[in-house]
Amino acid sequence: MAMTEGGAPAPPPTGGDTGTRPAFLPGDLDPTVFDEAFLRQLERLLLIMRAPARGGLKGGRRSVKRGQSVEFADFRDYTLGDDLRQLDWNVLARLEKLFVKLFVEDEDVTITLLLDTSSSMATGEPDKLQFAKRAAAALGYIGLASEDRIALTALGGRAARRRVALRGSGRVFRLLTELSGIQPADGPTDLLAAARHAAAQLSGRGVVILLSDLLDPAADRVIRELAATRSELVVLHVLSPQELDPPLEGDLRLVDTETGEGVDVTADLATIDAYKERLAVWKQGFADLAARRGATYVDVPTTLPLNDLVFAELRRRRVVA
Amino acid sequence: MPFASPLALLGLLFVPAVVAMYLLRLRRRESVVPSTLLWQRLVADVEANAPWQRLRRSLLLLLQLLLVLVLVLLAARPFLERPAGLARDLILIVDTSASMGATDVPPDRLAAARDAAKEALKDLPAGGKVSVIEAGRTARIVSSATSDIGRVRQAIDGIRPSVARGDLTDALALAQQLAVQSGDAEVLVATDASLAVAPTTKVTAPVRVLRVGDANGSRNQAIVALAVRTAPSAVTRSVFVSVANLDLEPATRRVEIRGDDHLVETRTIRIDAQQKADVIVDDVPADVGTIEVRLTPDDTDPNARPDLLAADDRAWAIVPPQRERNILLVGPGDPYLETALSYLPNSHLFGLTPDEYPAGAVRTDGTAWDLVIFEGAVPATLPPTPVLAIAPPSSSALGEVGGVLKNPGIGTLGTDEPILRYVDLSTTHIAAAQELTLPPWARTVIPGPKGAPLLYAGTRAGIPTAVLAFEPRESDLPLQVAFPILIANLTGELLGGSAATAAVAPGDPVSLTIPTGASGLHVVRPDGTAVDLVPGVAAGSTVTFTATDQLGVYTATPIVSADTSAGPAGSGAPAASLPAGPRSPSAAALGASPSAAPGTDASGRIAFAVDLFDVGESAIAPGSTQVLEDLGTGQPGAAPSGAPSASGGASATTARPNARDEIWIPIAFGVLLLLCVEWIVYHRDAVQRGWRAIGGRLGRPPRAGNR
Repeated sequence: MAMTEGGAPAPPPTGGDTGTRPAFLPGDLDPTVFDEAFLRQLERLLLIMRAPARGGLKGGRRSVKRGQSVEFADFRDYTLGDDLRQLDWNVLARLEKLFVKLFVEDEDVTITLLLDTSSSMATGEPDKLQFAKRAAAALGYIGLASEDRIALTALGGRAARRRVALRGSGRVFRLLTELSGIQPADGPTDLLAAARHAAAQLSGRGVVILLSDLLDPAADRVIRELAATRSELVVLHVLSPQELDPPLEGDLRLVDTETGEGVDVTADLATIDAYKERLAVWKQGFADLAARRGATYVDVPTTLPLNDLVFAELRRRRVVA
Repeated sequence: MPFASPLALLGLLFVPAVVAMYLLRLRRRESVVPSTLLWQRLVADVEANAPWQRLRRSLLLLLQLLLVLVLVLLAARPFLERPAGLARDLILIVDTSASMGATDVPPDRLAAARDAAKEALKDLPAGGKVSVIEAGRTARIVSSATSDIGRVRQAIDGIRPSVARGDLTDALALAQQLAVQSGDAEVLVATDASLAVAPTTKVTAPVRVLRVGDANGSRNQAIVALAVRTAPSAVTRSVFVSVANLDLEPATRRVEIRGDDHLVETRTIRIDAQQKADVIVDDVPADVGTIEVRLTPDDTDPNARPDLLAADDRAWAIVPPQRERNILLVGPGDPYLETALSYLPNSHLFGLTPDEYPAGAVRTDGTAWDLVIFEGAVPATLPPTPVLAIAPPSSSALGEVGGVLKNPGIGTLGTDEPILRYVDLSTTHIAAAQELTLPPWARTVIPGPKGAPLLYAGTRAGIPTAVLAFEPRESDLPLQVAFPILIANLTGELLGGSAATAAVAPGDPVSLTIPTGASGLHVVRPDGTAVDLVPGVAAGSTVTFTATDQLGVYTATPIVSADTSAGPAGSGAPAASLPAGPRSPSAAALGASPSAAPGTDASGRIAFAVDLFDVGESAIAPGSTQVLEDLGTGQPGAAPSGAPSASGGASATTARPNARDEIWIPIAFGVLLLLCVEWIVYHRDAVQRGWRAIGGRLGRPPRAGNR
């Protein structure tokens, strides 16, 4: 019998509302997020680490540490205490000098998923937060399947709340459950403060994936500060179609969903065009900034199917391989 | 700029209303967005371009204010003034005679006359009054002294062409009556000046003519006569058509003769300019009731020019129906004569001796004989019916008897005598004949010796009468073929065989006899409309039908009802609705002719045809306007600018208000233009999207800013 993370037996499948829901999924998991075929596809992916990173446990990635793998890295002089099994007996026989063979050691890394839960993320059709959750789940599952450590952190208010840190593909349901439990934050969110908080929680090198709409005056500083950590930064800029092409017309007072502030606008085609131009400049600014800081910026509309995001867009950007 | 309705300028009060509505409209709708971050930056950019943006926003308001201003201007009716070219009281006569249907000016002269009349109204002084008279067969006022030019134009547009002979006399008399009531009147006559009847009525106001029609528009050929004639033998019928070429060039036309809608015969005729040509078609089928003649262009002539007037290219005639005739033979009895008479078609022969005649002078049913033949005896009192006397023994009203001629020779016979048609008397010998003297009312048919006629015929006091001087058995004539032919021709002449149905002119009233037992007549006009006529007085025997304004065949069927006395009072008033027409006591009494109603068949159905047959109207060449203008007195005002070929003096009458030209048309166009611009500004987004879509279809790259 499939067991949930807590060990309780899974509820038996019921005909009506569960639909095609697999019986082994936890009961508090949103069944519309993934289906089994999608999970199988995810298993074949592996997050690409461009530079080897130092981790803790032995994992599926190359480490800067020399260790016990089969991939030769270098020679060094033998010193007392070295494992004699690492001596290169062929060199000793030929040159009569003691050299130790160094091998690349496989290690795990920590992939930190920073999920922006500000109120603005709860808007859009499709919902930006919902889309970000699914993308985080997909990326997290890819990480788990490649024996990396997945840390999930929700950015809301002025703080970063670390939800969970998981390892091993068997913990995927825990990840999904955690994602299902994330709700949009009440009140305004200071993304910069929350990001700083999250940066402080990072330990060692790894991958930081920020999923946000970046609708914050200090969004560029957020990227700058996260890129300044030793981790590799990937920014998934999530925007809804209503933000890309606002369906607005007439004399309007636009009210900010977070701050409640209003802006008077006469929305006509020229205004919308100006908005689109401004939006394009704004996104290009992030892309340029990310490029300068060695980060990866991926612009994702919520209308993009998750399949396309993972298997096309992220592959193209060399985030996954 | 002066205004006809300056009070309408109060509409400017709508300007503040529009501004107020615009301000109210600026209450913005609230719309929740994820973040105003980008919008705030955008607004900052927009405010950097504030002057242009402000102007752009208020463009709609400006357009709406401009629209209000222009609409108010339109309602105030601005006008320009200029000297008036017409008198204050204008009497407009529009000729609607048949010649106005000529198509030398498309679509026809009447339409051109209407246009010219409406164009002339522009020169009417402010407050001027217009009376419009429709001059067809009679004159009719269609608009009386009104200053509402719109109604006048409507009245002019409502004038319809007629097919009747035109007469401007009545219209000018009517205009004169209107002119004497006015101090400043002028008569405008819109006509082709092709006057069938030259009017003579003098008018105490200037008369000006708006002549319409092409000066060379005389190209017309017309059917000017049509008759169906029963041959003197009463056996066959002939159709007689007379076609006139009123053009100045010879013309070739095809004449189609149709009997009851079936083609009987076609003839192609060539007619010299200003000449007539006759077509006679014999042996028309006996069962034909209606003859129609059409004049069509000659198909075989590629250069055949079209006829300009269609009304005179068709004509109709009613074939006199076969009727049973009762012939009384008074005499001792002549087997030859009886045999010949018995061969006559549709005849019943009765015989009496001279002694029995006074008692049998009238038939037992009270009706008169159709023909009485006295053989060898003449009564003291002649019957009021056609009479043929054979060898009268003594002088009487039929002729003087001077003695007896022995073996009289037959003189030279006339070749065109209808009674002698197909009759050969060259081998005839007569033993004895009465010596008669030709009475003044008769013509000699068979001359005898020394001026004594052997046969003469004529109309004696309105009664067809013939006298044969010899007994047939006193000659060898009964043994010859000529005898029955002569008897047939003679009785045909006496029985009215050659009486043709008279056509009714368009617009003429027709008096119709109501058959015994019928309460009225149901008249169907050529276009299919029907009218019920009942006598105006109880037990009246005739009704007058006046709605003969269409060319064609009219049929009247007796209305037989249980209560024949029922019916509204009134002199020949039609029971159904009909335009009132002239009612003349001298109406042609078709049903009262001696030979009963021509066109009356056995069922009592009466048919009659209305045909134009008017050379004056068919001569469509526009005439001189001088004849009409000479009828007026005084100098007409300045010639209207738009009137075609208007003539008259140029001195403007003083003390007349100026003519006004309202300039609402450009203003109305301005309103439409403003509405279009406002619509485009209001929907500029949709217009731009559409424009971009078109650009996209044409392969142009999308503008920056689009994803």
